[in-house]
Amino acid sequence: MDHTFKIPLQQHIGAPCKPVVNVGDRVKRGQLIAAPEKLGANIHASVSGTVNAITDEFIEIEPDKEQTEDYVPIKETSSIIEAIKEAGIVGMGGAGFPTHVKMDVDLQGGVVIANGVECEPLLNHNVRQMEEEPEKIYKGIKYAMEATNASRAYIAIKAKNKKAVEAMKSVIDDPRIEVREMPDIYPMGEERALVREILGMLLKPDQLPTAAKAVISNVETLSRICEAVEERKPVISKNVTVIGRLKSGRQAHVFFDVPIGTPITELINKAGGIEGEFGEIIMGGPFTGKAVDLDSVVTKTTGGIIITDPLPREKRKVGLLVCGCGANEARLREVAEKMGACVAGVERCKQVVDVRGGIKCENPGNCPGQAEKILKLKKKGAEALIVGTCSDCTNTVMGVAPKLKMPVYHHTDHVLRTVGHPLVRRLKK
Amino acid sequence: MSITPETANQHKNDPAVVCCLTQEGTIISPADLEDPAIFPDLEDSGLLKIPENVLTIGQVLGKKLLKTVDALTPLTPDLIEGGLEETKPEVISENVSAEAKATPNVTSTGNVIKIHIEEGKGINLEIPAIMTAAGGTERAAEQPERKEEIEKPKIEDRVKRTLLMREFDVKEVRLGDETSFENGILTIRKTLAQDALKADPLAKKMEIDIITPDNKNVFTNTIMDVIPIATKVEGSIGEGITHVLSGAVVILTGVDESGVQVHEFGSCEGIIGEKVRFGRPGCPDENDIMIRIHVTIQAGTGMERRGPYAAHKVCDAVIQEIREVLKKKDASEAARVIEYKDIERLGRPRVVIVKEIMGQGAMHDNVILPKEPAGVFGGRPNVDLGNIPVVLSPNEVRDGGIHALTCIGPASKENTRHYFREPLVNLVAEDEEVNLVGVVFVGSPQVNDEKFYVSERLGALIEAMGVDGAIVTTEGFGNNHIDFASHIEQIGKRGIPVVGVTYAAYQGQLIVGNKYMDAMIELNKDPNGMESEILGDNTLTREDAERALAMLKAKMAGVEIKPAPKKWDQSVIERNQKLVKKA
Repeated sequence: MDHTFKIPLQQHIGAPCKPVVNVGDRVKRGQLIAAPEKLGANIHASVSGTVNAITDEFIEIEPDKEQTEDYVPIKETSSIIEAIKEAGIVGMGGAGFPTHVKMDVDLQGGVVIANGVECEPLLNHNVRQMEEEPEKIYKGIKYAMEATNASRAYIAIKAKNKKAVEAMKSVIDDPRIEVREMPDIYPMGEERALVREILGMLLKPDQLPTAAKAVISNVETLSRICEAVEERKPVISKNVTVIGRLKSGRQAHVFFDVPIGTPITELINKAGGIEGEFGEIIMGGPFTGKAVDLDSVVTKTTGGIIITDPLPREKRKVGLLVCGCGANEARLREVAEKMGACVAGVERCKQVVDVRGGIKCENPGNCPGQAEKILKLKKKGAEALIVGTCSDCTNTVMGVAPKLKMPVYHHTDHVLRTVGHPLVRRLKK
Repeated sequence: MSITPETANQHKNDPAVVCCLTQEGTIISPADLEDPAIFPDLEDSGLLKIPENVLTIGQVLGKKLLKTVDALTPLTPDLIEGGLEETKPEVISENVSAEAKATPNVTSTGNVIKIHIEEGKGINLEIPAIMTAAGGTERAAEQPERKEEIEKPKIEDRVKRTLLMREFDVKEVRLGDETSFENGILTIRKTLAQDALKADPLAKKMEIDIITPDNKNVFTNTIMDVIPIATKVEGSIGEGITHVLSGAVVILTGVDESGVQVHEFGSCEGIIGEKVRFGRPGCPDENDIMIRIHVTIQAGTGMERRGPYAAHKVCDAVIQEIREVLKKKDASEAARVIEYKDIERLGRPRVVIVKEIMGQGAMHDNVILPKEPAGVFGGRPNVDLGNIPVVLSPNEVRDGGIHALTCIGPASKENTRHYFREPLVNLVAEDEEVNLVGVVFVGSPQVNDEKFYVSERLGALIEAMGVDGAIVTTEGFGNNHIDFASHIEQIGKRGIPVVGVTYAAYQGQLIVGNKYMDAMIELNKDPNGMESEILGDNTLTREDAERALAMLKAKMAGVEIKPAPKKWDQSVIERNQKLVKKA
């Protein structure tokens, strides 16, 4: 290996972990190298090697030339929750909430929802894992049910992913567990959208699924629970989709078990390398991902790495429409700036609410109407729109803006256009 | 924006429009509906066009959508399951016809035309609109109660005074040696043009000519007034006998010695055929012979009171000589005799008409109650009276009790002939369902303090009159809307239902408003909503009067009044007119 592994001290919601190794220490793959002092999750070495630097942000490991498949197992524990905690599992759908905290509930016969919706376009690693390792996920669901005292479980998968649906169904041997097929709209995988669709209960933006006696966990997270319980394996790797402007084409490349701390350039090169000029490197999905630098590394929450086409140029004044499910204001401003557009005004969807420092939607995926907001933006001088809206709200925007002769950009346009994916526009009736 | 159940309830009679793309099979809930409060904005931007057969929010809630529709689609019966059976597809027209059936049979205060009227606030236009199903049911429930009420008071008509108006047809008008009127031929003495100038030294020159109806392609200077030729034969203004010429009217035009139009800034000089809206109450009719009296006044006096007034005085001197011969005509020669009665209609709601007239001075003035119908001599200018309200009986108005110094902005101003043929006064006086107790003329002063002074006096007067309803009209737009709005407030705050009548449309949008201005009639007739500078174009007509009276009756009956769209929309007026016609 010709690169080091920079392992971030914060890969989760909470506070950064404290290193438990020193510079110069030899570490083995799977060895605990940092532990949380507050809310957080254990961090383990993803490779064997030598610690050659420790900063406030990461521990850098110079890997040994020879790497083996074995790892330092997590210590014996008396409960599933303890195993999850030891293994440093966090929500791998992207949120990064420490799983041992989330699962430390008594659902009193409630429900575990395995989130295999993978509602962000382009990403594919969840679906591929369900197709290839259904047993591991299924076992993870059972452990989660046991840990949370749940009596039922649902596996939510988009109906269009037939192979994954069949694979998961093929391993189910418990009548309390069933697959639920979901419509192909964004943000179907949002936690409260899932609770609403499956349990018929609309949670308030600041309520957790436990209010509906439910715990929702990404399918990869559940598979890591299985690994922790059965293989005593800590979280040292991540499944990642790499897609975009690649010399190898525009199809998705799924990499299983990428060691945490791997530079994203390494993965991009493995996927064929960047083709020509590019616009952004997005880590995550097109809707909620962040534009990052090429020196970023894979963490426990890295899902997608997307290389986009250059952004179009827009000389007209734009209005920004912020959505609780899609892009926040900062992201929309970033897109506008990269397009060279001057921002005439910003409006938030009526359903946007501020929750714990972020924004959420009061009723994810059910549009409250956008006509008034668009009119306001027009009054502020906007000649074109950049929207960060979900599928349903985009329907409304597209029912309104063209009649006002206002061109619409969705903040995912340049991302989706790169791979020839249909743009987020009006859904077909 | 989607709405809450509370908002939906408030707007249950408003059109139902989906806020978002809504899927087939959806059971309509408030969350699927757009907020009616933003409809005007949506309509302004062309995002929304509400069809006549739109269902109301109250009608669609809980109903199943039959097909997937786009954001901002108005819900019509074809989109809603069972929509045709449970609700009337054409809510508006069906309710109207139901009302229409009841109307001819009952003459009572309960017999109202059910209309929802639109309100305006601030700069909004205020115009009438549509009725709803819910309104209809409410009324049905109230009706029996009302009938009982009206059986108690004594229904009786007491004639207070009678005015006989004998009309003499004019077939031809000539200029000649002697003023005479024989066999339908009116001859005006040529030298009268010189002699009449003695009436006021500021009038320097007069020319009289005749414009026949077949020759309207002649240039005219500013038309300062259209004046009927009428004279008292017996009694004073408002009672007794009046002789009036029909088929000929006087057109007063004027310039000053420097050639400046007396009505510079908004005059209607030009080709007379194009500059006059023939047939309006205040205009010559299509086949009227126009006796044009053109007066040149002293240079620079056009914008002072004395200049225009001089022109009117010398013109009146000409007409007076004609009056003298008209007086002597034998009754048997009259082509028609019209009997006007001032009637106290006991047992019916007492109604007053308030007419705001211009009172800023110069040509913004009116002579109240001259000796001769539509004359000048003997009357008192409202500016001299401090513009405070003056009450006239309906007959006094119809007998030429107001001589108007028609001011600039000719399309929306009421001239002398307008008051002589005032359609609202005539309509309300004839209507057997209301008791017209009087017509109040209140001048519009220049200064704001004075505006509120006269407006407060008006309020006190109306209170003392003990009326059950009032219609306030104005002429012109802009400055006078300040006191117009204040008059409505003064009346409204005393708990008296009040309807406002004005030209506003596009150019004359209301600059002020208050919560009592919730029942408004728009006088505009210009396609672009402008002061068209065509004489009489946007003045009150019989149709406007019908809408105003219908609206007052609705308001007095306690019918809910719908707010007006934010922007002037002529189609609302047309819809209301249809409703009134059907009723």
